This record gives sequence, C-alpha cells and structure tokens, in this order.
Amino acid sequence: MTDDKDVLRDVWFGRIPACFTLYQDEITKREAEPYYLLLPRVSYLTLVTDKVKKHFQKVMRQEDISEIWFEYEGTPLKWHYPIGLLFDLLASSSALPWNITVHFKSFPEKDLLHCPSKDVIEAHFMSCMKEADALKHKSQVINEMQKKDHKQLWMGLQNDRFDQFWAINRKLMEYPAEENGFRYIPFRIYQTTTERPFIQKLFRPVAADGQLHTLGDLLKEVCPSAVAPEGSRNQTWVSSMADKNSATEPPLHHLPYSFHLFWWIQTYCKWDLLIRLYKLRCDPPHSRCILIPLQESYIRR
Amino acid sequence: MAEEPEAVLQFPASAAAGGEGLTEVSPETATPEPPSSAAVSPGTEEPVGDTKKKIDILLKAVGDTPIMKTKKWAVERTRTIQGLIDFIKKFLKLVASEQLFIYVNQSFAPSPDQEVGTLYECFGSDGKLVLHYCKSQAWG
Repeated sequence: MTDDKDVLRDVWFGRIPACFTLYQDEITKREAEPYYLLLPRVSYLTLVTDKVKKHFQKVMRQEDISEIWFEYEGTPLKWHYPIGLLFDLLASSSALPWNITVHFKSFPEKDLLHCPSKDVIEAHFMSCMKEADALKHKSQVINEMQKKDHKQLWMGLQNDRFDQFWAINRKLMEYPAEENGFRYIPFRIYQTTTERPFIQKLFRPVAADGQLHTLGDLLKEVCPSAVAPEGSRNQTWVSSMADKNSATEPPLHHLPYSFHLFWWIQTYCKWDLLIRLYKLRCDPPHSRCILIPLQESYIRR
Repeated sequence: MAEEPEAVLQFPASAAAGGEGLTEVSPETATPEPPSSAAVSPGTEEPVGDTKKKIDILLKAVGDTPIMKTKKWAVERTRTIQGLIDFIKKFLKLVASEQLFIYVNQSFAPSPDQEVGTLYECFGSDGKLVLHYCKSQAWG
C-alpha cells in the first residue's frame, strides 16, 4: 500500500500560501507590513497563526488589541473549519496567495465562535474525531483508547507530526474482519451554492446486497442536485488531488462515480474525520463537485 | 424507560437570542404547525421523516447539574446547539457566565453552530435525540 501512504502524506503536508494584512481601521503605532505564511490545509487558523498575531501586535498598543479574527473579502473565517475547507469554499478560484485580513476588534459574534485558547481548538478537534468514530464504530474504538492516545492525535496535528498522528489514527481506520467497512461513512457535504451549513446523513459503505457503495451512490442519495441527469450535457464530476509535485495548484484527476467509497475514504480521507464534499457552481450549466476529506486532501479546480 | 407524560404548555416565543422555538412535547403526537407558532396542540400525527419541522429532544442532566423539570422538547431542526444551551441556561436560571456543555451519545460535544436536525438524523433513536447537559466537561 505504498501508494496509499504517499497519498496520506500528500494530504497531510498540503499547504496554501497566504498573505495576512492588517485591517485598515485597526489603530497602529506605525505601518504594519503584510505577513506571509504557508498554511497547512489540515489544520485550523487559530492553531497556526501565533506568528501572525505577534507580528501585528508589535505595531499596536495593548489597549487596541482584543481577540484576533480573520476575514476574506468581507467573510469572517470560521476558525473551526479546516483551513483547506475554508480556502476551497471561498478562495479557490482566486489567485494565490490567499489574501486574508486580520482584525483585532469588533469580533463578529454572530458569525464566529470564540477561540480564547488552544484548549478550545483541541476540544473541537477531539469532538470531530469522536463524532466520526461514533458513525464508524459506534465510538467503540476511540472510547477504548487511553487519554494519552487522544493526546497523541492532538499533538500530532499541533506539531505537524505525520507519523505521530497516524500511529493512533490508523486504529480509527480499521474495521472488524467480518464487516465490509465502517458502520456508516462519516461525511459532510458543503455547498457553495446555498446558505445551509452542510449535509450530513447516515450512509452505509455497503448496500443490502453486499455491493460496495460508490461515490456516485452517496451523491445520488444525499445530494441528488449535485448529480447531472443521465445523458445531460451538464457535467458533474469529482476530482481529487493526486500530484504531489505541485506546491500550490494541485492538479486534479477525476474520480469516476464508480469509485468505491470506502476505499476512497480510507485512502484519501486519512483521518477518521469527516469527509466533505461540496458543489461549486461556476459557469453554468456545469456544476463541479468538490470532495474534501476533512482536514485532508481535497479536490478542487 | 418511559418518561412521565408532560403537561401541554405553551411557551411564548422569547425575544432572547436562541430562546425561542422550543415547545414541550404533548402526550399525543404534535400536529404539523406553521414555523412561527410556539404552541403544541394535540391532534393528527405529524408527517414522518424530513417533512417534520421539529424533532424531539430528551434532555438529561449529568452530575450535579440541576435537572430540568421538563425534559422532553420539540425543537426546530435548524435550532443550533448554542441556541439550546442558551435556552437551558435560562430555564435553569443559570448565570450567563456559567458554562454549559451538551453531549451526544455521551461521547462528543457538537460544535455550538451545529443544527439539532442534523444530529437527530445521524444520532437519533426511537424518534428522539437524547442530549446530556453538564455544567462542567463530562466526556472531555
């Protein structure tokens, strides 16, 4: 399974170049230079931007600083969404670097959750892992782990340690020999074409007749509007990142709908986290489906 | 594990953030109601599945957290966990600064912006979503 391991690494080490600029109305003692940073797709904004915060706080007075928050073209960025997901939803068709505006006041209470400490990020991350395992294994695998194993998952993410993370995560990707896969597929579908947050439903990896479900089966069942009708000129396709040589613009390869969903999740999703799909409406009448394994590899155009 | 049948109460839609939209579950199944109505009335059965606007939630206290006098609630699918937290805190007369945690399956705490309808779809059983609430972190 060497290929699979390569994909796992590619997803883990995926990066987005970003340029952070201080919001023009923030009060500064002197001009603030923009700050450039490569953001890990699989992580969270508030976990990886300590240097950004320090950089801008250097030119500000203490009394003008409250909780940091980020915004892209007027949209507050939800720190609890993985960076890769935020980028693909909001900025994937724009030129790089991803231009993010930094704020230190007027926190948008209605749009964002507060992030007073790293503990909050850890709690959120662990809850995601637990929710995914609730679907995959009725929580049995994650609940049987010791506290130190949970800690290792978090430390692996926080310190960008692939091996450390996967030493534990691989257990969350296993399933009993007598089964054909997880109990339910952990997935979320994010659509750029709607205000609705996401679609998340129960979906088994195997059909009643024992056939493995495919990606197409999933989409037809839970997001039929994303599937182009038979014979239609409209194309709906799913593509995924495969080229590990590309630093910023990973090319795509198309996943056929006949792709076995469970294998795909094991290979591309890496984490036992939820996978995310969403649909981008670009030039009509085409609609593109973008698969984003949570905090993972992504499919984009 | 049947709950005591609850009296039918009408809760006025509260103007406070997240406070509105919860109604007590009547002993009989509730009628389909217009979104703005806060009343639960006995009568014909609600259509099952996606067309049901409200889902049933059963709230269970953990540890020394005060127990809600009314445990069963019919909640709009789009109600968020934060909205539910605010409602429970008001109902229990907790101070705004006091924390309240909500857990699904006694194992994970959903994100405050998560909708109860989605949680019900994935983690509901026997026609309801059981949620445990606690003033401190119970399941990490």
